[in-house]
Amino acid sequence: MAHGTDTSHGHGDTVVDHSHHAHVCSFQAFFGIYVTLLFLTFVTVAIAEPVSGLHLGSASMLVAMAVAAVKAALVMTVFMHLRWDTAMNNLAFLGSLIFLSLLFLFTLADHSTRQVADPIGGTPVEVKRFGQD
Amino acid sequence: MTTYVPDIEKAPEAGSRKEPSYLDVTKGFWSWAGTLDHKRIGLMYLVGVTAAFLCGGILALLIRLHLWTPDGAIFENAVYNQVFTLHGVFMVFIFIIPAIPASLGNFVLPLMLGAPDVALPRLNLASFYLWLTGTIMAIYSILSGAVDTGWTFYTPYSLQTQQAVVSMGLAVFTLGFSSIFTGLNFIVTIHKMRARGQTWFKLPLFCWAIYATSVLQVLATPVLGITVLLLAFEHLYHIGIFDPAHGGDPVLFQHFFWFYSHPAVYIMILPAMGVISEVVTVHSRKPLFGYKLLAFSSISIAVISFLVWGHHMFTSGESEFVMLAFSFLTMLVAIPTAIKEFSWVATIWGGSVALTAPMLYAIAFLIIFAIGGLTGVFLGTLSVDIHLHDTYFVVAHFHAVMMGSTALAFFAGVHHWWPKMFGRMYNETLAKISAILILVGFNVTFLPQFAMGSQGMPRRYATYIPEWQIYHQWSTVGAVILGIGFALMLGYLIHSLFAGRKAAANEWGGVTMDWESPTPPNLYNFDEEPVVTGELYDYGHGAKH
Amino acid sequence: MGHSTIVTPTPQGGFQTHTVAHHFKTAEQEFQSAKLAFWLFLATEVMLFGGLFAAYIYYHDVYPETFQKGGALLDWKLGALNTGLLLTSSWTMAMGVRASQLSQRKQLVWWLVATVVCAAGFMVVKYIEYSTKYHHGIFAFTGLFSPDDHYAPDLQGLAYPQLYFNLYFTMTGIHGLHVLIGMIAIAWLIWRGAQGRFHSGWYTPVELVGLYWHVVDLIWIFLFPLLYLVP
Ligand SMILES: [Cu+2]
Repeated sequence: MAHGTDTSHGHGDTVVDHSHHAHVCSFQAFFGIYVTLLFLTFVTVAIAEPVSGLHLGSASMLVAMAVAAVKAALVMTVFMHLRWDTAMNNLAFLGSLIFLSLLFLFTLADHSTRQVADPIGGTPVEVKRFGQD
Repeated sequence: MTTYVPDIEKAPEAGSRKEPSYLDVTKGFWSWAGTLDHKRIGLMYLVGVTAAFLCGGILALLIRLHLWTPDGAIFENAVYNQVFTLHGVFMVFIFIIPAIPASLGNFVLPLMLGAPDVALPRLNLASFYLWLTGTIMAIYSILSGAVDTGWTFYTPYSLQTQQAVVSMGLAVFTLGFSSIFTGLNFIVTIHKMRARGQTWFKLPLFCWAIYATSVLQVLATPVLGITVLLLAFEHLYHIGIFDPAHGGDPVLFQHFFWFYSHPAVYIMILPAMGVISEVVTVHSRKPLFGYKLLAFSSISIAVISFLVWGHHMFTSGESEFVMLAFSFLTMLVAIPTAIKEFSWVATIWGGSVALTAPMLYAIAFLIIFAIGGLTGVFLGTLSVDIHLHDTYFVVAHFHAVMMGSTALAFFAGVHHWWPKMFGRMYNETLAKISAILILVGFNVTFLPQFAMGSQGMPRRYATYIPEWQIYHQWSTVGAVILGIGFALMLGYLIHSLFAGRKAAANEWGGVTMDWESPTPPNLYNFDEEPVVTGELYDYGHGAKH
Repeated sequence: MGHSTIVTPTPQGGFQTHTVAHHFKTAEQEFQSAKLAFWLFLATEVMLFGGLFAAYIYYHDVYPETFQKGGALLDWKLGALNTGLLLTSSWTMAMGVRASQLSQRKQLVWWLVATVVCAAGFMVVKYIEYSTKYHHGIFAFTGLFSPDDHYAPDLQGLAYPQLYFNLYFTMTGIHGLHVLIGMIAIAWLIWRGAQGRFHSGWYTPVELVGLYWHVVDLIWIFLFPLLYLVP
């Protein structure tokens, strides 16, 4: 039964269970992550086109999302302890991102290939794209 | 191997039990309404989903009677739209999605794991009340003006019709979260509550099926939740996300809807497959053929089901490129599905098969599921689907999968675990008659629908051309046979609760842990904490009992 | 089955003892079950918000100019301020969980109070932003979308400008609702924490609310650049 120190198992006994040990982060680790997150927020704002006027074109959104992904990874691994958590808890949470990416993948694949009626073979036919009135 | 004969003489006497059964341990309304016991919650679901099935079934019968004549015999056209919508909503969201996991799964899963309860009993009760709330909201939507969109709520029509779409959307949202919490609870239960010695490959296949189902419930249902929420906003405030009049794309609604609703088909069929695995092995007294293949095929069906939703949208204006991709990926589903069908047949082959009532239901499942599965391949084929889309062929196909397979597996499971649940046995002769009536009735109902669907009879129409009348009339006759079969079943099951003979301790000679508990089980299921030592599905050992 | 009552070790100093629920064999089993369940719940939150993000990216692709001009009407300074507030609250929450793991009763309460204060600040900023938009006719949930021309001259002639703002209000609205729910949960933790309910032997609710709060933060990390800094 319990992995505790108390081994008497009679009816109605109270057993103290010492089996639970968790990882505790240091103040420095948490504070370091916090400062890094603020710094990355500053980076996000500083390179954003509406603020800085930097013209990165289509890469602009990708860079912003990449920085956000780094921030998210820091929150998940350290603040949420995923780095020290079980494989199953990691899978439960990160698995959702994989399935979510399927929703993104097919929905956007549909949208971005809708303008040609025959993308595979034959003569492509231009059709009106949704949103172009 | 010989056929198992239950030791009816040694049926457990009330006095011989160490502890009272879960049915006797407490009495009164609140001992049920406030219970945290997975078995009582399972039974409350069983009553609830059966009532929903009854409502949906009566609506189905009305639809079939209406279609007796080409001009429609009963309803105004607009009322007909409401009737088939209610039939769909009741059968899909209120009956079939919770049917097997929430009722049979709740009852059997902890028993199969040798556990005293699910991991989160309070959440379990909460999901039941969410289900009840969602059902009441759905009934409210019916009374406050009814919904006539079909269970798919496609925009833009669903935005122009009655306001009741809003409350129906919120009902589906609530039912969705009930389903999510049940699935979440079962995943945790399977991970954390297994008996000592019960490794993953000593899990009965019903547990694997429930696990795969739960993954779908947890990952797919939230997308339905946000979709119906946005639909309600759209209807109330015209936010434009799905409304072409405000710049939205109705095809995006369909992407979101089917991202859930295709996996939802597997939320329905996977637990059914689990039930059939258990019934087939017990009543053939033979270990399942290809255990690991069956287990992994459940998981792979769950994963592939996220890759194929676009096959519902071949005529909706998605791009040709994704149509080809979805059509190809849809074919992949056939592989694990066929593995299952062949494994069951191979399990029966050479076994000492007892043609009991649960086994007859399971055999009916195997026949109808083969029809339903194969016609799915037709519909997944892009070019063929352009012709068959939105015809009675589709109607017949998904009824073969949902009703002819999932509902039949549900009833196979109900008959299989009935003696364990109540300690009473139903009249087996009547049960066999009703199983045969349902098998015959199903095929008389839906084979003509395949035929007229392939000739172009569109679904959801209140009227039709006279050339199809003969098909429709056969279909209606079949529906009446089905109705008689189900009414008979309801009759003898209720009768057995009061007058059925006492069930044997192990009525079918099952060898998984659900059959090791006292019959009916104790409040915390077992007399002693079970430990798994032997092989799974070992009938050589079990037959000596 | 399981007749003996299992309790977790309780440190000295007025802490309350936790009894393990009867259907669990060990305290570890109880803790890990709750945690796995909560991670799965958080996965459903990811999927739920994921639908909104998918819709956003889809329409951003369809109406890039509308989204750019619409995004320019949001005040990125207020958005950045809110990002800072939520990141701070995420840090104080992490410190709160740490305090409960170390059975530091007073520190736990103060870290949690700091978290709620930051969250309240976030909601105040959100209120200012919403009411500004409302006063200028940019709040389509009232049924009328009529931006005044002095405030939003750029919106004229754009395709479906309300689509951007409705996505903005829906996404931040549902996120804001999560902030409010989190504030209530943290307030409850403060109340029970002050009574000594949480300590090294049992701090499951602090851990779980902490995880929830970090997910609220995670979603905002993506919402901020998507909505306020549209290129
Ligand atoms: Cu499908």
